Amino acid sequence: MTGELTVMMLTWEFPPRIIGGISPHVYHLSKNLAKNGMKVYVVTCDFPGSPQHEIIDGVEVFRVDSYKNPSPDFATWVYLMNINMQKEAADLISRLGGKLDILHAHDWLVANAGIGLKHVFRKPLLATVHSTEIGRRNGIHLDYERMIHETEAWLTYEAWKVICCSDYMVSHVRWAFGLPEDKITMLPNGVDIQECNSRKKTGFSDFRKRYASPEEKIVLFVGRLVYEKGIHVFVNAVPKVLEKANAKFVIVGNGYMREPLSKLVDSMGLAHKVMFTGFVDDNTLRDLQGCADVCVVPSLFEPFGIVALEAMASRSPVVVSDTGGLSEIVEHDVTGVKVYPENPDSLAWGIMRVLLDEKYSSWLKKNAYKKIHEKYGWDRIGQQTIDVYRSVLKEYSKSFWS
Amino acid sequence: MHVIIFTWEFPPRTVGQLADYVKRLAVQLSQKAVNTDVVTYHEFSTGKEEEPEGIKTYRVTNPVKTHIGVLTWVLTLNQEVERVASNIYYNAGRQVALVDAHDWHFIHAAVTLKKAFKLPFIYSVESLEEHRSHGANFPFNMAIKSIEWLGLYEAKKIIVKSEWMRDEVIRIYNVPEDKIKVVMPDSQEWIDGILKTYKGLAGGAG
Repeated sequence: MTGELTVMMLTWEFPPRIIGGISPHVYHLSKNLAKNGMKVYVVTCDFPGSPQHEIIDGVEVFRVDSYKNPSPDFATWVYLMNINMQKEAADLISRLGGKLDILHAHDWLVANAGIGLKHVFRKPLLATVHSTEIGRRNGIHLDYERMIHETEAWLTYEAWKVICCSDYMVSHVRWAFGLPEDKITMLPNGVDIQECNSRKKTGFSDFRKRYASPEEKIVLFVGRLVYEKGIHVFVNAVPKVLEKANAKFVIVGNGYMREPLSKLVDSMGLAHKVMFTGFVDDNTLRDLQGCADVCVVPSLFEPFGIVALEAMASRSPVVVSDTGGLSEIVEHDVTGVKVYPENPDSLAWGIMRVLLDEKYSSWLKKNAYKKIHEKYGWDRIGQQTIDVYRSVLKEYSKSFWS
Repeated sequence: MHVIIFTWEFPPRTVGQLADYVKRLAVQLSQKAVNTDVVTYHEFSTGKEEEPEGIKTYRVTNPVKTHIGVLTWVLTLNQEVERVASNIYYNAGRQVALVDAHDWHFIHAAVTLKKAFKLPFIYSVESLEEHRSHGANFPFNMAIKSIEWLGLYEAKKIIVKSEWMRDEVIRIYNVPEDKIKVVMPDSQEWIDGILKTYKGLAGGAG
């Protein structure tokens, strides 16, 4: 390949629109690809107050009019939004005069647009599968879910290569969609180590006071408050930990389980020990991760577990459930503590191990921080992504489409 | 002149009267020396076929089998229409004059091809959601109307089958009158009217 490589990312979320993990993933990936000399276009949904077209950190972002009439349901909205996304992207590629090498779609949310553009412009399509419907729902139970599942399967079928962020997801995606092994590549999710450490560590005591008294340890949960994140396991571990340690349990995030769980906490008489902060801004989140005595990721289903990486990069010890991508990120007793999923006793045991042994805790922190540098820096992942692009383009160059 | 017709029904798959109408149209065009490709849907009998009347049909199926209604069904079928139409376009050395899209189902594909290839399309209106839904305006109906609106907005010309329909298109979607051409299927001038509209779009090409 000669000249500048050009990629178009399709994603339903991109900062400042942040719904889940895809938004920061695509942002960091795009930024690092641009830093490595690639031309990167991002086509994404619009967001109030954000321009339709702008350049962020070397990445050219186009925000398209997402479907704004009331929609029958979420999936139908996704398909309708894809009409506009595909239309605008087609217009853009046409204006580029064919100067595009790769289409890169993130999850089924942009499957239609990615697949259509692939055939119309005859360019190779790559798909990153961040999560699956069958994993999120722990099975397929309704036609609605099966429709999404089949849309995911369709995307992986049409993709030249499928990228998964953990070995767990590689085997999960192979099982879910029956893909051949050599169609899937594992590229880990990354973490912006600088960003996680950019906040001043001084002045934490003032900040900390907003969440806990000085004698209380801070046990932090960050995530959507939904069943698959195991937040109910976390709440049930609270009284067990309090038997041995004085701690404040800070829960960051929102979701449909917030209300029932805060009622549960009230009925346990522990409202003074558990704090629901709701959604917080990035700086507050970094500060919280920076001053937490332990960060807990008790998920039941976790394709990757970016929040564990962020905690490790912020030099906070982690306790994670031994499942999915978390199993790979954390090495037990070396870079964190692994506990049995969906088991409050096991979780409480893990939290107490960290809280009650200062030396053990700093040993974990030190090892985890080193591991992050070795494996999860975006620079490295950006370079690995370019390698995948190049190998796809090499195959593509031998096809009649090129 | 090379023309691609999009229709969601075509014999042997007949849902309403559109299937037979489009068949008649394609055969007539072919007899007038128009190179006519029809892209349509069939559940299982897919692929390219040379029909005895001189037209070529390309039948696609839906890659997503499970659906919660006709709307999501249509929305995931369009990419297959785009795939086949793009293949026709590239195989013809990009020498395709226009797309004639019948009803709202494959408007999405017609619009994408227009943006990608500067390939103009005609929106042939058989019926409108406003009349089909008897005034119901649920999110489902709104979505279909928004697709009809997109088609009427992006189309180079709109063909309707009666003066009444022309007035309805103007009333409901506020489309400029000179964008709409009334060609009555039962009239003597039917196929010549269609051909004239096609040639007006193709600008003498082909």
